[in-house]
Amino acid sequence: MERLNLSLPLPYLSVNRDGRIVSYSALADEWFDLSTGHIKSLVDEESVNKLGRISSGQGQAPVKMELNMITKEKPLALFDVHLQWNPENRASMIFLPKDSSNEDLIEKLMNIQNRLASTDFELLEKKDELEHVLRRMDELSGPFIPLSDSLCMIPLFGDITADKINTISESCLQSVFRGNYEVVLFDLTAVGEVQTDGIDQFIQLVKTLNFMTGNVIKLIGIKPNLAKELNHHHLDQWVQFNHSLKEELSIYLQQ
Amino acid sequence: MTPIETLASCLLEGDPDKAWACIENYPETSRPDLYHHLLTPAMRHIGHLWETNKITVADEHLATATCDFILSKLAFSIGKERSGGKAMFLCLDGEQHYLGLKMVDSLFREQGWETRYFGPSLPLEYALQTAESWKPDIIGLSVSIVYHLPRLQQYVEAFSQLQKKPAILLGGRLTGMYDLRPHCTEDTVILGDLPETERWLQNFMTGGQQSGTTESIPSPPVFEC
Repeated sequence: MERLNLSLPLPYLSVNRDGRIVSYSALADEWFDLSTGHIKSLVDEESVNKLGRISSGQGQAPVKMELNMITKEKPLALFDVHLQWNPENRASMIFLPKDSSNEDLIEKLMNIQNRLASTDFELLEKKDELEHVLRRMDELSGPFIPLSDSLCMIPLFGDITADKINTISESCLQSVFRGNYEVVLFDLTAVGEVQTDGIDQFIQLVKTLNFMTGNVIKLIGIKPNLAKELNHHHLDQWVQFNHSLKEELSIYLQQ
Repeated sequence: MTPIETLASCLLEGDPDKAWACIENYPETSRPDLYHHLLTPAMRHIGHLWETNKITVADEHLATATCDFILSKLAFSIGKERSGGKAMFLCLDGEQHYLGLKMVDSLFREQGWETRYFGPSLPLEYALQTAESWKPDIIGLSVSIVYHLPRLQQYVEAFSQLQKKPAILLGGRLTGMYDLRPHCTEDTVILGDLPETERWLQNFMTGGQQSGTTESIPSPPVFEC
């Protein structure tokens, strides 16, 4: 191996057909560990085949390829390698480290990807939180209020959805069952919209209450829009309708 | 061009819409089949193009980002029904090859698992922090570059000390190329590819960790190479 006395601004190697290093520039010695005297030991294991394939051409036209190299600083560093065979079967190789601005760009791209991934993550966490809040809201949208030993009331808040009715059903059934009530009032004053599957679930709840306790179940506080909607569902075989809590209470107080 | 080459060229162009159109040609194909028989071979083909000096590493990065987008889009429609356990997925510190890991994450989510996907390069201390507080049943690791291997042992050993004893899965390109057993603990499950992971998960879910096996049932090719 001969050290060249040329001052070249990039690492330079001259290599024979067997891959043995014939001569090298000062910078090549500075950047790479040349102790084995073989080009294979400078190239990352997974780039060796590429170098073999691309450099095995018979012609003398210069070729350029990207290779991962093992430098003294890094176990894996990307280089543009320019290679040309001369008539004496020696390959001149010049090693150009991939432009650092390129690496900058790649790093920025990675950063943006990471940020997207973490934003995605945060959104996911927010979504979980939101679902939890919604479930909690559903739980709190049907409080059980005992009015007397024989009368209790469950005001419903917000839209009637299947999820909500499912959520409140259990605690509602338990509370009613625990007491000795004769009349259960469902107050719909604070109900917004009614979804069909929500009302189906509601009917299920009312039926269950009816079978379990034999109680009289009354719906109160029905607004006109709700009345129209409820009319489709033939609720009257399961419940009685009254106008308002006030009216219901006055009947009750007169007794 | 085969469907795989067509997809690879769309990914290299960095055109997510065109790449998505390739995927939409197969509305009946399941997600795992798309991953294993279309997206993975397309990315392997891109690796081959680099080896044959047709493209540069910068092109590969663009293709990776585009493929990442496609994976996110594919996984978007997975339902939120939760019927499995909790699993977290990460690449070793410094490891940037995360697409396979992302596919595995989606596989678990599709089976009703709650997952945390950390993607490329997660330092051990952060991974441990999450594992300690979130208590996953499974921790999935990915490694694709040989010189990241020395770190593997640290990760695997740290996770095996966890109180809840999560099952530790190891995947990534290297599992198919070398015997990684010496870098793992005895209990580490080494998985060669996506179908193997799928089978392991099925077994894990039906019979618990002990009967988790990876016996091979060859899956038929879906797309011509």
